[in-house]
Amino acid sequence: MIILGIFIWVLISAFIAFLAKNRSSAFSRISTLITLAAILIYSVLRFSSGYTGGFLSQSNIALSPSLGIYFSIGVSGFADSLLILTGIIFAAAVFVTDKKQYPPSMFLLILLTEAGMLGLLISRNFLFFYVFWELVLIPVYFILGKFGGPRKDRVSLKFFVYTHIASIFMLLSIFALYSYYDLQYGVLTFQMDLLLSAMQNPAFTATLPLIAKDFILFGFVFSFLVKLPSFPVHAWLADSYEQAPYPGTIILAGALSAMGGYGLFGILFPFGGLIGTAGLDILVVLGLISVSYFALTAMFQQSLKRMMAYASAASMGFVTLAFASAFLDPVKSENALIAASGGMFQVATHGIIMLLVFASIYYILVKTGSDRIPSLGGIYRDAPFLSTILLGGLLASLGLPGLAGFIGEFSIIVGSYQVIGYWIFLLIFGMLITASYHIWAAQKALYGPYNEKLGKISDITGAPLAMLIIVFTVILVLGIFPVLFFGPIQAYAHGILFGGII
Amino acid sequence: MNMDFAVWFIFLSPLLASPIALVAGMKKIRLAGIISTASIAISFILSGYVFLTIGSTTINQSYSWFANLSYGVYVDHLALVMVLMVSFVSLMIHLFATYYMKEDPKKHVYFAETALFTSAMLGVVLSSNLVIFFLFWEIVGLCSYLLIGFWYFKPNAASAAKKAFIVTRVGDMSLIIGLAIIYASLSATASDPLSIPYLIQNAPQVAAIMGSGKLALATILILGGAVGKSAQFPLHVWIPDAMEGPTTVSALIHAATMVTAGVYLIARIYPLFTASAYYSLYAVAFVGAFTAIYAGTLAWVMNDIKRVLAYSTISQIGYMMAALGIIGIVGSAGIGPAGVSLAIYQLVVHAFFKALLFLSAGAILIALMDLRDLREMGGLWRRMPWTVTLLFIGAITLSGIPPAAGFFSKGAIVDASWAYYVSSGYNLANALPWVFLTFGEFFTAFYTFRMFSMVALGKPRSYLAEHSRDPPKYVLIPLMALAVLALSFGLFQTSFYRYLDASYAAFTEPLMEEILVYGLIAVGVLLGLFVGTANRWKKLDSTSNRAYRVLKKKYYLDKLFTNIIAVRGILPLSSAFSGFEDRYNSANETFGQDVTRMGSALRKLQTGIIENYFIVIVLVAALVFLVVEIIGGAI
Repeated sequence: MIILGIFIWVLISAFIAFLAKNRSSAFSRISTLITLAAILIYSVLRFSSGYTGGFLSQSNIALSPSLGIYFSIGVSGFADSLLILTGIIFAAAVFVTDKKQYPPSMFLLILLTEAGMLGLLISRNFLFFYVFWELVLIPVYFILGKFGGPRKDRVSLKFFVYTHIASIFMLLSIFALYSYYDLQYGVLTFQMDLLLSAMQNPAFTATLPLIAKDFILFGFVFSFLVKLPSFPVHAWLADSYEQAPYPGTIILAGALSAMGGYGLFGILFPFGGLIGTAGLDILVVLGLISVSYFALTAMFQQSLKRMMAYASAASMGFVTLAFASAFLDPVKSENALIAASGGMFQVATHGIIMLLVFASIYYILVKTGSDRIPSLGGIYRDAPFLSTILLGGLLASLGLPGLAGFIGEFSIIVGSYQVIGYWIFLLIFGMLITASYHIWAAQKALYGPYNEKLGKISDITGAPLAMLIIVFTVILVLGIFPVLFFGPIQAYAHGILFGGII
Repeated sequence: MNMDFAVWFIFLSPLLASPIALVAGMKKIRLAGIISTASIAISFILSGYVFLTIGSTTINQSYSWFANLSYGVYVDHLALVMVLMVSFVSLMIHLFATYYMKEDPKKHVYFAETALFTSAMLGVVLSSNLVIFFLFWEIVGLCSYLLIGFWYFKPNAASAAKKAFIVTRVGDMSLIIGLAIIYASLSATASDPLSIPYLIQNAPQVAAIMGSGKLALATILILGGAVGKSAQFPLHVWIPDAMEGPTTVSALIHAATMVTAGVYLIARIYPLFTASAYYSLYAVAFVGAFTAIYAGTLAWVMNDIKRVLAYSTISQIGYMMAALGIIGIVGSAGIGPAGVSLAIYQLVVHAFFKALLFLSAGAILIALMDLRDLREMGGLWRRMPWTVTLLFIGAITLSGIPPAAGFFSKGAIVDASWAYYVSSGYNLANALPWVFLTFGEFFTAFYTFRMFSMVALGKPRSYLAEHSRDPPKYVLIPLMALAVLALSFGLFQTSFYRYLDASYAAFTEPLMEEILVYGLIAVGVLLGLFVGTANRWKKLDSTSNRAYRVLKKKYYLDKLFTNIIAVRGILPLSSAFSGFEDRYNSANETFGQDVTRMGSALRKLQTGIIENYFIVIVLVAALVFLVVEIIGGAI
């Protein structure tokens, strides 16, 4: 029940933060730190040893048993790593929210988003899963629409329409599944474990009309791909990231991009094999295209924020690839296991890396007044700490070994080789382009002669520096001891791939 | 002392010292150099300790890292020779760097980075698993990136660092594919598919499981990684530009901590190369032999002292690669030492004299205020007798003139290539490695002595050269140590071969072929001295002489990479994709507006976006039930 307590705490503190008026910033900082600490304590207690897959902390609160509506929760090894990620991201997002710039409602919105994120990660009931899925989107929409950049109106609308169309497909799938389960077993239920094990049961799926099965799968896959985002349903991505205020960008890139990954590996994973070879092949192709296409697009961006938005999408291409190749592997061997675990690891660590990158770009904007590559240049001279940390973030993002980004990418590459064969060269081409533009951006923005037009700039000190160093340390620790996340994730993946545990 | 503890601390000592040096250096800048030098001295002492106690055993410790990949240390005689060389040469370079970098305001950053650099290279050498190997390999790459760009405010340095990172990254990506192929093929049978001891002890079984053709593909891709790191053709383009970094960094990169990593990679998993289909070793042999002569020709026309040395490194590493490939093909029976011993002996000797050459060049550059142009030097032997004598010792070792060690190390490789030609029944195509390597010897002697005579002989050609002086003698002690080794290491040739390969047996050297080679070296030296001192080269310039221009432009390879592949290939592609992306984005926006226009009819009932949203949800729910009804009815 600890985890339910954490969720309720976040929900309550969102409103306290709103009512606290001029203390909302201080309160939110403390509140998110408490949340993070609680999540860490919970994870150490439950997942540090003896976890062998499946869900822990399961409990049900009956709301309407006749309609199958329970508030039921449960945490898997994968969800737990994302809970930690969520705790970190929102603590940092609140930290970089300047209280002079934003009213208390901003903190309300951020904390509500956190509540939604936590809720959807722990929900084991489809109805609540959907509700929380929406609860995440609405505050983010307001953050974008109220506090965004000059094009906020159009962009927030696009974000809203785009993600809602996707959600609606998922809702349709959930209702279809709900109804077919009722038809087959005469029980109305939104419980994930029942519905998911039904989908794994050939006796049940055989009764589904073919189109209904495909429709259900399509709804889920489509909605998760939009959230990732994957090519070609990514059009909300770059504008939203660019126009959002920095706390919003950090939430979008850090937490929200994990929603799609959680959807694929947390919800769809038990019956991903149903998608069929043709569908999985399409996913592999989308993953491969995402990696190269977004890398090439990112290369041409002038704004650091926009460039990293595409970089984020490119590393999500690995997740799609990992998901599909885990099921395409003919023998379901170690290769499938390492690809799937790597995909989940990538989802979890990508958020932290994006947090470091966007937070350091934010401080560069604060210190120099610009976050565009051509108007920076040589800032290492006056801001060595800030530059070094941004370089660290860029290196993590390009997948340098020793930092967290490498583990996921390497696992996915070695795990998916059996499936993609020589298409691996396309993947590697994408990675090469990724490395090139990251290094190119670092060279243009941080090194070389100082751009005198910037005037006098100062380095970061004090709390922001400490925050960035802590985030970097987390990335480093996860790169050197990946097993902290990889252990529970692999146990979860093993349970589903080989044990049939839901 | 426990030997396992010693092995781990060989690379942990500089690794831990690196952040300590950085932080301590912020408080008191002198401390940084002392801490990192001391940590590398500890590495060297520990390596020596392990060398003395290990006997004929190997140390193999591995622990689970993540999934079915492990980390750990694997020490055999090959690894031990390498750690001794790396820690010793790095120690000498660090000692000299405390003088060379003494006035740099960011000295602490420099020493933290070089300590990390050395530690990463020691990690590469000791790793027991190819994943950990790759991890350290990339940290080596990262440190070279940071150190080449150490003088970040110089635009050339920043762009050279970028080039080094990206070009070696091309090789690293090739290596990663090679690892993926091996992993994916072995994951079903091996509990730890990328473990180095497993792969080299079971190479024939690995080849049987994978098929020797697929293994050859994997090893060729791994060779790609080695080509990038060891600056072999065609991925050598980063290394001449990398001369923008401090000279001690060049010494580290060329002698101890970076370019030798590629050769070591191939030597480390050599049984996989010999077990795979024949063409992977052919690839190694031809890449090496071709690079040896190719880089040799480029060094003819360089007027920058550091660039001459850079091309000489590329060419000398080519000898090591060629040795690995050739002996792998013909086998060492009756020919002489095994491929690994041959290559690693050359590697160690090369480390000694290349560190010596770069450090003495560094001493000269300090005296000349970082003036690197050979045309502005001249007559330095009289003005800086100690430094230039050390440079001379380096030069004769590089050229392979007896009694210096280069004579023994390279001579054996050329002999091997001759034996390869003979064993193929005088097949003309198989004479190519021998021809390349023999003429490589000639070119090496030529460009080395051209450089030497331009530095040391004649009259000073600039004010700075006229007023240059030797640094204090104690600064040159590390260089003297290296010089002694460069001169005397030939004595240990046989025992070195025997240490790496117990089955080594003495062999007869092909006399006629050797006489030809030494004749060519002698001609090369004389020609180099003549060209360097004569005034004719001053009149040569790239506008008048076509061949000269081709060499000066480095066979247009840089142009191909930068102007054609990057600027005409990738950049337009990126621009096109980005243009498409913008269109696609705005098309989606228009679509979004259309949707809202539809919704605005409903907005008359309610105001505000939340209500609008709820209406959508209700409508959708109704739609869902409709769909479910229809489909449900169809069952």
